[in-house]
Parts: sequence; structure tokens; C-alpha cells
Amino acid sequence: MIRITSRWRNTLAVALTGVSLFSVAAASAAEITVWCWDPNFNGATMEEAFSRYKAIHPDDTIKVEIFEKAAMEQKLQAQLASGATDGLPDIVLIEDYRAQKYLQSFPSSFEPLTSHVDYSTFAPYKVELATLNGQTYSIPFDSGVTGYFYRSDLLAEAGITPDQLNDITWDQLIEIGKTVKEKTGLPLLPIDPTSSDWIRIMLQSAGSWYFDADGNVTIKDNPVFKAAVETYQRLMTAGITTPVSGWTEYTGSFTSGKTPSTFSGVWMTATIKANADQSGKWGVAPSPRLDGVEGAGNASNLGGSSWYVLSSAPEKEKAIDFLTSIWAKDVDFYQKILVNQGALGTYLPAREGEAFKASDEFFGGEPVWQNFSTWLAAIPAVNYGIFTEEADTATVAQIPAITSGGNVDEIIAAIDAQVRQQIQ
Amino acid sequence: MSNPIALIGRAGTYLLLSLAAFVSIFPFFWMVVGASNTSADIIRGKGTPGGALWDNIVKFVNSFDMVRVLFNSFLLAGLGTVLTLLVASMAGYGFEMFRSRFREKVFGGLLLMLSIPFAALMIPLFMLMAQLKIINTYQAVLLPSIASIFIIFYFRQATKAFPSELRDAAKIDGLKEWQIFLYVYMPVMRSTYAAATIIVFMANWNSYLWPLIVLQTNEMKTLTLAVATLAAGYTPDFGVIMVGAIAATLPTLIIFFLLQRRFVEGMLGAVK
Repeated sequence: MIRITSRWRNTLAVALTGVSLFSVAAASAAEITVWCWDPNFNGATMEEAFSRYKAIHPDDTIKVEIFEKAAMEQKLQAQLASGATDGLPDIVLIEDYRAQKYLQSFPSSFEPLTSHVDYSTFAPYKVELATLNGQTYSIPFDSGVTGYFYRSDLLAEAGITPDQLNDITWDQLIEIGKTVKEKTGLPLLPIDPTSSDWIRIMLQSAGSWYFDADGNVTIKDNPVFKAAVETYQRLMTAGITTPVSGWTEYTGSFTSGKTPSTFSGVWMTATIKANADQSGKWGVAPSPRLDGVEGAGNASNLGGSSWYVLSSAPEKEKAIDFLTSIWAKDVDFYQKILVNQGALGTYLPAREGEAFKASDEFFGGEPVWQNFSTWLAAIPAVNYGIFTEEADTATVAQIPAITSGGNVDEIIAAIDAQVRQQIQ
Repeated sequence: MSNPIALIGRAGTYLLLSLAAFVSIFPFFWMVVGASNTSADIIRGKGTPGGALWDNIVKFVNSFDMVRVLFNSFLLAGLGTVLTLLVASMAGYGFEMFRSRFREKVFGGLLLMLSIPFAALMIPLFMLMAQLKIINTYQAVLLPSIASIFIIFYFRQATKAFPSELRDAAKIDGLKEWQIFLYVYMPVMRSTYAAATIIVFMANWNSYLWPLIVLQTNEMKTLTLAVATLAAGYTPDFGVIMVGAIAATLPTLIIFFLLQRRFVEGMLGAVK
């Protein structure tokens, strides 16, 4: 009996010594800390940017900490709310849809960069979404410029040529879908009925959103919103889509050829190109535009993110100097990350570089990057506001009603009411 | 024996049990099969073992400082378990052995606190840790979890079966209270300790939200946090994630099977 307990006591003693020995204090070296969420994408581009900065400033170091995206947001939010700035990074990546939420909920937590950066060199919509009260806070990073990705070989079986897909409307796309369904039996598009992505894309393509520039709800009595819901309803009821649930099934459907196309942000390129055996069988067209809507265009956006400097950052000056001297200046850097990470930056002068002009054999020899960057410059700027998530939830809740052919005006009224109730 | 109605009933029972077994085992099966497939195969829904297991393991081991991460996880889970058991068993012992006017009120107050969700405590707790200047340390992870109300409750319930004659006899033999606890109570209650070890170790090992908030650097990350970062990114490698999931599950499985017999005893009541 005594033997057991003395062993317990020893274990405990060893353990207690352990905890005091291995308590690690925060490193005190002068280095820039960055939080982001993809080791192969935004993390890798940050490392590349810093390697260029290091060539001029050899003593500085960078520390890129990768988190899962939702986890990083939770962590950042908890810490900003607590007001304790210990351990916050110098630079943090924030998704564009959430930018205003952070800027408005935690005023003075982020550093305005207006006096350091010439924002006219970045895509206007990216600048707008990070601007609050005349101050811009971000270094814009990747774009979510949208495109219509299609399997040219499968569409050719139905007699559809790439020319027929250029600068078309959604209703023309629906007609193409019917032809494809008839000739090949394949549904044209996979749709995730638990996501409002496509409604958002349609809204922004016509320069509209759930909210206006002042943050007022613009759902009811918004002709663009009505057109988007009606178009979505026509898409869903035309029998040319197949429902998918979740990311895996969604990407699986068009990479396996169960559907011959999808409609997504430029970042989907990496997922598509991961299937090397399909090289030469893909094409990209501009995203379709809404029919009969004033200001509707063939350029829109889905996702994207930007870098922000925290006001409390221990290496604030260094972080700003690093961001402005690489991210807002180095055209060659943008060529490198485009080739290596498939990251389409929103720094407009980068378009004139080699990599942007190159043609891509995977997409049948088209200069896809230059196409994307041309569309990118045309994306209308909208105010994502601080309640985009709430509006998304309200919209998704009505998707079953939209799909089953419900009355569009009633559906819109219901979405409007729910959003207003939630954001009071 | 050959009563047809009983036979049908039996068949129904087995059918239901098989279904339940399938539902519980399938995720595990999927994890193991997934670990041996490439990401592309998993996306295509391939449900048979593939040949990429070794590749996935190599990629997993190289994706972060494995020694450091495992050390963090084992230290936090191990030490957390020892400290929680110590504090909670003393509290449970105290609550049951010593009478006082406020005993039940204090205990009721503790149980009420069980209903406060952690999300509500998270931010004040973080501010507290920031004031104590212990953010990004092992202490910050351990301290809030040591006084686990549920485990105190569990020990108090188990202590009800501890014969007070044993304590009286020990007193007559001249043992002090701490000696009684150490030399009589602890050995007698070992099944309860074993069951609590499984519960606390699993909870600490899987703990995610609080370590996520309070640990800042890669050197401090636990296995759970590290595996979660594998899922970061726009094109996650599902095969590697499955290997990570297995690595994160294995220790709790081993602990469970090692202590399984005692666990069942502990659940049934420690003292026969």
C-alpha cells in the first residue's frame, strides 16, 4: 500500500518540476508575427514575400502561424474582445466579407494604412471593403474574381463551343444547360442548397448587396435582389442542376465529370488543376450576368482576403514597411506567387508581368490569368457591411422555398424581415 | 426454444444492435481507410484501403515539430489528469466526510455552476490570464481545468460507498486525516480513480477551445490543435488529416483499453 502511494508522490513531484521547467515565455526576438490559415496558399505567399524583404533587411525574421480559419477568427475575436493584446500578431489575414465587422466592432484595434499606400494601384472593390470613415486599413491580398469553369470536351459533345459561353446572361446559360442535359444526360451545374454563394455572386455582379453604402438593409424593393432570386429559381427549376452537400461532394462532382462545369472564384483553379489527367479539357469563361438589370456585368467576386496590421503590434513600423515595400511594390513577387501558389493578387500593375500573360495548357492554351485580372478590375465595389453572415443565413433559410417554386416577393419579404429582426 | 415470436424478437434485437454497431464503427472504419488513400481518392468516395498510407504518415510527421507537439499533449493531458484527480478526489472526500451547515448549499452552488457554458467564461478567463502574465504557458491551460466540478461530483458520489468504519479504524490506529486519505482512501477507491482517469484524460487530451485561445505559438501547440491546422487551407490533404485523426485518437483508446476493467468497476461502484 505504501509502495503505491510513494510512487504516486514521486510521479507528482516529477510532474510539478516539469511544469515549472517547461513553461515557455514568449520569444523576445525582433520578428514579425503573422496569423493566417493556409500553409500552401496565404502562408506560403507570406513566406515568399518575406524572403524578398530579408534580402534587403537580413536581420529581420518572420513567424507565420497557421490556424484553421474559423479557429483563427475565434481566437482573434476573443482576444480583441478581452482587450488584452499580449500575444497578438503584427499582421493578420482577414476574410473580406468579415472586414467591416472587425473594423467596426474593434475600432482602433487596426492600423490605418492610408498614408503609407497608394491605393489607386489596387483593385477598387478591394480597397472599398477595407475602408471605414475615409481610412483604409488593409493591404489587399487575393481576389475571388469569379469565372465559369467548364469541361470543354464534355460541352463539345453537346455541340457547345467556347464562343457560345462568352459574355452571356444567366438565361442563356440555362438554355445551354438544357441542351447539355438533352445531349449528354449530364446536369450542367452542382448546387449546394445550404449555401448562398451564388446569390451573393449575382448581387455583386450588378453592384448590389444585402446592404447599401451606409449599412441599411436593401433586400426588399431592391430590383437586383429580386432578379437574383428569380434567376436562382429559374436555375433550380430548369432541371439542369444537381444538389450537392458540403465542399467535398461539391468539388468532387465537377472534378469527376459528374457535372461538366461550375461557377466559382478564381481560387478554384488550384482544385481543378490538381487533376492533372484532365489537362487541356478545361476552359474558363466570364461569369454570366443578370438579365434586364441596370448595371449588371460579367464580373463578380466570391471570397478573398486581405492583410491587416494591428495597432498593438510590437513590430508595427517594421510590419508596415515590409508590407508596403513588397506587397504594394514588387511586380515580380506577384508573378512568383501566381506561378507557385496560384494566388491572384489584386495589385493592378502586376498584370503586365510575364506570368500573367502566359497561356495555360491545362485550359487549352488560354491566357486565363490575364483574363481573370481583366475581369477583376471590373468587379463592382459594394459594402459588405457587418451583417453579411446574418443575411446569408436568412437567405439560405429560404432556399427550399425558392427551389420549390415559391412566390418570389413573399420569399424576399421573409428574408428582409428576418435580417431586420436579427440586426436590430 | 423454438417459439417463433421469441425468435423474431431476437432477430429484431440483433438487427437493431448490428445497425447501432455499424453506425458507431463506420466513422472509425472511414478514418482508417482514409488514412491509406490519397486526398483525391477520398473526395471520390473510395471506401477501400489504398496504398498511400506510408506517404500520408511521412507527410503528417513532417507537417510540424512532432516531438514537441506530442510532448505538449502528453504533458498537459498527463499532468492535468493527475492534478484534477488529486484536487477533485480531495474535494469529494471532504464533501462527504465532513459535516457542516453549509455543505449542501456549497455543493449545490457548485452543481449550478456546471450550467454556465464555457463560451461565457472564455473572455473573462483570458483577461485573468493576461493579468497574471501567463498567456501562452502550460499553467494557463491547466489552471482552469483542475477543479473540475463534474469530477468532484463523481468522487463525492463514489465516496458515499466508502465505509466510514475504515476511517474510524484508521483514526483509532492513530492516522491523521491526510494519512487516512493517502493510505486508506486512495487504495480503496482505485477503481474510481481509474474511471476518472479515463474521463479526465480524454477530456484533457481532446481539449481544443481553451488551448486554442490561450496558446499563441507553434512551439506550444498540442496535437489536437496541430491536427486542426491540417484542415486549414483551401485544398486540405484529407489522407494526412485522417492519419492525424488516428494519431489523436490512439492514446485515448490505449488508456481506455488498459483501464477498461477498472472503468467498469468504477462505474458500478468502487467498494464491494
